[in-house]
Amino acid sequence: MAHAIAPVPGSTTMELALKIWRYNAETGAKELRRYEVEAPDWATLLDVLDIVKDKHDGTLAYRKSCRMMICGSCGMRMDGAAVLACKTRMWDIAQSGHEPVISPMGNLPVVKDLVVDMSPFWGKIRAVKPWLEPGYDEVAEKERIVSQQQMNVIHKEALCIMCGCCVSECNSMESDPEFLGPAALAKGFRFVGDARDQTAPERLSDLNSEHGIWDCTRCYFCNERCPKGVDPRDAIAKLGAESIKEGIDHDMGAKHAKWFVTSAKTTGWLRETELVPKTQGIVSAIKQTKFALGLAKRGKVPPPVPPHVADRVKESRALYNLVKEQGRDGALGIVQGEHALGRIEFTEEAGVRELAPELQPGVEPPHAEG
Amino acid sequence: MRRVAYYKGCLASLSAKELDTSTQALAPRVGLELIELESVTCCGAGDIHEAEPDYYLHLNARILAYAEATGADTLLTVCNVCTLNLRQANWQLKNDEALRERVSTNLQRVGVPPYNATVEVRHLLWEIAEGEGYELLKATAHRGLKGLRIAPFYGCQILRPSKILGFEDPDRPWSLERIIEACGGEAIDYPAKVKCCGFPIIQAREETALGELIQPIEQAKDAGADAIVTPCPLCHLSLDAWQSKLRAATGKDFRMPILHLSQLVGVAAGLEESELKFPLRHLLTIGGAVSGAAASRGPAPEPSSGVEL
Repeated sequence: MAHAIAPVPGSTTMELALKIWRYNAETGAKELRRYEVEAPDWATLLDVLDIVKDKHDGTLAYRKSCRMMICGSCGMRMDGAAVLACKTRMWDIAQSGHEPVISPMGNLPVVKDLVVDMSPFWGKIRAVKPWLEPGYDEVAEKERIVSQQQMNVIHKEALCIMCGCCVSECNSMESDPEFLGPAALAKGFRFVGDARDQTAPERLSDLNSEHGIWDCTRCYFCNERCPKGVDPRDAIAKLGAESIKEGIDHDMGAKHAKWFVTSAKTTGWLRETELVPKTQGIVSAIKQTKFALGLAKRGKVPPPVPPHVADRVKESRALYNLVKEQGRDGALGIVQGEHALGRIEFTEEAGVRELAPELQPGVEPPHAEG
Repeated sequence: MRRVAYYKGCLASLSAKELDTSTQALAPRVGLELIELESVTCCGAGDIHEAEPDYYLHLNARILAYAEATGADTLLTVCNVCTLNLRQANWQLKNDEALRERVSTNLQRVGVPPYNATVEVRHLLWEIAEGEGYELLKATAHRGLKGLRIAPFYGCQILRPSKILGFEDPDRPWSLERIIEACGGEAIDYPAKVKCCGFPIIQAREETALGELIQPIEQAKDAGADAIVTPCPLCHLSLDAWQSKLRAATGKDFRMPILHLSQLVGVAAGLEESELKFPLRHLLTIGGAVSGAAASRGPAPEPSSGVEL
């Protein structure tokens, strides 16, 4: 296909049409307006919007700043999927003849056209205390160096530019607007996993609130949409694993997760019938009796006795014991994403969970490695 | 006939046995000989990944090792959650030699065969949406769905993260539509077909989950669907069994029948009711809802007697 090969940048131009949802919050008027523009071959969606605003319709509202994928201002939806406008090249779309529909991000109130009100987003970021709590007040006389190995643990989460693309598509937040959401929780892990921070247990306790970690429905839209490779869903799993490691497991979500572990090492298969009482407690489970009987009538509640036990289940138990001995508990056990590969061995040697050394006035801090 | 290792997972083994029965009945018609794995466990359903991630990796490596030991190059799954958990572990083990060596050594220490990363994890959906499986499906689906309007519901973990799944565009998937059409049905389009059914949090956050699962059911109903089909037994359970709670919470009685992928194709392939088992094992009986839907929109495009639902 000819359009698959992009031209030498700047050598030609392209014609394209796009439709933009226009919205006036004062009048409530909404309208899908179509624009035809001529743009340089290298143009991104943001460049195209600039052309629309400069040459066709000066009333169009959208946010922008850096134009180079680092400020996080130009998050918006193209054909329903959140993108950074400045990262989205338009050449292939123009060649295909497709007319994309541009709309504001989801899960945030619209101010005008493509501009959303980010205050709920910032409120949630602030709620996770996005600052270091090093546990001392003195000002260091010399800089304190953190090793590359220690920072690798939170490398992905630290890449976040807070554009809101993950939040835009979060399925849990659509249903529960108070959910802290993928951006704030990834930010939460960025500090929980920071070797210098002395408040991880308190942070984890806060993040185990009603609208915290266990509200995530694992739809993976956040990982799919993030333009920077943060993989917020994985950060949420890391927070869950760290919470359980710290014994913070009062939430029904944590109890639910732990029951799968118990099931795997005792019978091998999920002990489904016991899942509800183990997750919600006996009282709540009894309240569900009528619902459960309805399921049972259709063969949806397997009897717990005799248990469905996997062949050679003792291997599964032995694996559990072996893995626990090896001590890769918590977030350290999660390998995900190309940047994270190999991180386990890397960080373990560096002793990532070790507390950062206390500053001694007049004593030189340890040198960074690498 | 292609030999593939078959991983049922918890639901098809226990509360959704109809998924296993219909998959076993369908497999030979689409060119698959299933080697059932005897010594495997739960994949952890994303829960063990979140509670004890290193144990999750080892449990899944163990399943992959037993699949590899059958000599098959494919591990067939019938559940989205199993698919993601196994593929994610496989991806890590294939791409990180040091990690694979550690996990493989651990497996051998407890008596499991080592894992050499030769297995590919594939969902039944992918096997029958393209290639030889699709050709055989077209040939076997001769009884057809007779113009039934079917809403495809993908669920999340067969589409996202696409880095791990990667079969089709997660925003514009086509496989279920292609299968519905090959079976003589009409595929209904609606935005929530790629969204979440709420199942992972249905125990811990039921209200949030209901807010999610109403979307596909309501949209499919509004678009005139006779039934929803899904490749995931967890989506199936949530959409089917929790409809009564949705009714209690919202007052809306959708009575939308939900089918497993293998059942939908099984109907078109003329499998016996004993092999499909839906009136027996589903919360909503299909017959009444489907004939009701057909009556309310006038005569069906073709006589509906061909599909005895």
